[in-house]
Amino acid sequence: MSLARKGRSIMLTGLALLALVYVRALAFTPVERFQGPAQKIFYLHVPAAWSAMLAMGLVGLCSILFLVTKDLRFDRFAGASAEVGTAFSLVMLTTGPIWAKPIWGTWWTWDARLTLTLFLFFLFIGYLLLRGAVGDPGLRARYSAVLGICGLLLLPFIHLSVYLFRTLHPQPIILKPSSPSLPGSMLATLLFSFAVFTLLYVGFVTQRYALSLERESEVENA
Amino acid sequence: MPEVPQNAGYMVAAYVVTAIILLAYAVSLYRRTGRP
Repeated sequence: MSLARKGRSIMLTGLALLALVYVRALAFTPVERFQGPAQKIFYLHVPAAWSAMLAMGLVGLCSILFLVTKDLRFDRFAGASAEVGTAFSLVMLTTGPIWAKPIWGTWWTWDARLTLTLFLFFLFIGYLLLRGAVGDPGLRARYSAVLGICGLLLLPFIHLSVYLFRTLHPQPIILKPSSPSLPGSMLATLLFSFAVFTLLYVGFVTQRYALSLERESEVENA
Repeated sequence: MPEVPQNAGYMVAAYVVTAIILLAYAVSLYRRTGRP
């Protein structure tokens, strides 16, 4: 089975499971008493944020590995992961304000968490623009690796921003020193959604990596 | 006990937007990679 086909299978499985996340979140998970139905945006917003962070984390890690080994497979993976991360950060940045409006009374506020997250999105866009602008594969890999490492350095600040600054954004409820503070059915839905978004990330990246391989072989054959 | 807020419209909007973004990206990848 080719890599593109594998990626397509994983992606389609992920999309089918995403439909199950929708059914479980909308029909079988209780409505939160104080926030109402809008709280259910949580089951998409948080896993999308996780996938975006995972994507940027792997971009940064592969960038370091590329600079150490000069193996272009790491650069190819970083490029694929950045494109997929852009899609997930777009989900995070659209669902966030839609959730914020009924709960905070505003679509957006320039506090540390939101601003840093927007910066992450622009970093993804900048990374992709840089890759598109540099023709030489060696130079492109080196320049984008530097930007990828900058993105990796941004991640701890995003995660810790809710502790370091005064912000409207709630503190983590899963990735924190004490145990998760959610009722069982909500936690189960959230964990299921995390798994599905991670699977979608894997499917998307596999397919995007295969696309890079196809393009490179086309250039070599031309 | 406080009344549960009636804000389902926001929830529906977020779920629709997420589906559109992820499906659009999936279709874009499908169209760009070689057909099996």
